[in-house]
Parts: sequence; structure tokens; C-alpha cells
Amino acid sequence: MSSEVLVLGTSAVLFAIGGAGALMHRHPVALLMAIEVMLNAANLLIVLGARVHGGADAEAAALVVLVLSAAEAVIGLALALALFRRRAIPDVDDAVELRG
Amino acid sequence: MDGLFIPLLPGCIVAIASALGVVSARRPVYAAIFLLVHSLSLAALFGVLSAAMVAVGQIVIYSGAIVVLFLFVVTLLPTGGRELAPTGARLPAGLVAAAAVLIALAASLAAGAIPVVTPGDLSVVAVGHALFGSLLVGFELTAPLLLVAIIGAVVIWRRHEPRTRTAVPAKATEPRTLVMHR
Repeated sequence: MSSEVLVLGTSAVLFAIGGAGALMHRHPVALLMAIEVMLNAANLLIVLGARVHGGADAEAAALVVLVLSAAEAVIGLALALALFRRRAIPDVDDAVELRG
Repeated sequence: MDGLFIPLLPGCIVAIASALGVVSARRPVYAAIFLLVHSLSLAALFGVLSAAMVAVGQIVIYSGAIVVLFLFVVTLLPTGGRELAPTGARLPAGLVAAAAVLIALAASLAAGAIPVVTPGDLSVVAVGHALFGSLLVGFELTAPLLLVAIIGAVVIWRRHEPRTRTAVPAKATEPRTLVMHR
């Protein structure tokens, strides 16, 4: 087993764990943390690709992904706090204002 | 097995274990601490994969800013961040989705051959040239993105502010003004 396969497998497992967590949780903050795990898995794959193909562009893209995840966390946590103002124990399924 | 396998293995194990901790922790404080461990282990993996700049960025941006932001929000939570137990359909749905993703990714991994590593310049100088060269537009667009995220967070926060905190006691003679937000 080469080191590339190890990192690829790790990235796949991390993505699956994050996806399962995002589906299971009802707490908005826990949900966001699971999504962060998925983002990290994707970033690990980008960095591995940069190493395998010897391209510095992909590493720069990984830095941009880091900034994107920061923006996502800011908006997500603001939404989570807005949910907390409505109920003490929030449920992400409560936010149904846009349901047609 | 090659030279990087042994240095990568502990990082991979810690990353997967802490990700399981993030997902399965019942209290958000523990989940945030697991997320910190997870991001540090990923920074170690990036360092071993000769991505020094991403490793430093992961520590500074991720562990230093995002995880601390999560911790701040967790301390603001009422009732200590208690969560409703997952309803009946959620647990199997999550497990089935995780298994499906794993099977799909493993199948694609088995079908394709791993390309041979081609050595390239991955130094900080090269990454900087890429950021301010071929990726300049995307990189500069992250600045307005962050600005919009900040403004959006403030707007979302103000919009849901309880009315008792902002409402000015209206005088009887004043006409009622139209309030745009709820």
C-alpha cells in the first residue's frame, strides 16, 4: 500500500464520516462541525493532488478553500444563533419558512 | 510501502479518530475540541505531504480562527448545547449514506490507477507565484466574499434580534413608523 492510497483512503473515510454526521445531527452547530470535517477531507485530497502532479496551483487552491470554509462557518454560525433565539433546544428541521 | 507511509500513518489515524469524535460527541464543547485535534492532525498531514504553506494556513486560519469561533458560539449556547436525540430515521439514513459514499469512493479508487508522483516545485515561493499569478482573480475574489460573509452575519443577527431590546418606547403623539424587519 503506497502512501498515496493511504491518504486517498483517509480522505474518503473522513468524507463519509462527515456526511453521516451531517445527516444525523439536529443541532445546527454539530451539523456545521460535520460539514467542516467534509471540507477538510476535500482539502486533503487537493493537497494530495498537488503533491502527485507537482503543481503549486493546487496548493494555492487549497488555501482558497480554507478561506471559503471560514466564510461558510461565519454565515452558518450566525444562522445557528438565529435559530437559538427561537428555541432553547433547536432543531434544524424547524427552519421551514421557505417551504412552498 | 514507501518512505512517507510511516510518517503519514499516525496523522491519518488521529484524523479519522477525531472526526469520529466530532460526529459522535454528545456535547458541542467536546465536538469543538475534537475538531481542533482533527485540524491539527490534518496540518501535520499537509506538512508531511510537503505542503508547508497550507499546513501553516490550516493552523492559523482553521485552528486559530474557525475552531475558536465555534468554541465562542458553543459558550453562547443556552442549556449547555443540549441536543434532541436523533429521530428514528436519521441514524440509519446517516449510516446508509456513509456506507454508500464509502463504497462509491472505494470503487472509483480501485478502478483508477494512482499516477506516478511527478516531482514539482511546491515551495512557498511557488505557491505565492501561483496565488498572485494564475489564480489571482479567484484569490482576490475571496476578499469581497469575506466582506459579504461579515455583513451577512451581522444582518442575520440584527434581523432576529428580540424586539424588546431594540424597540424605543413610542410616544403617544408620534405616528407609528413602519418597521422593515421583523
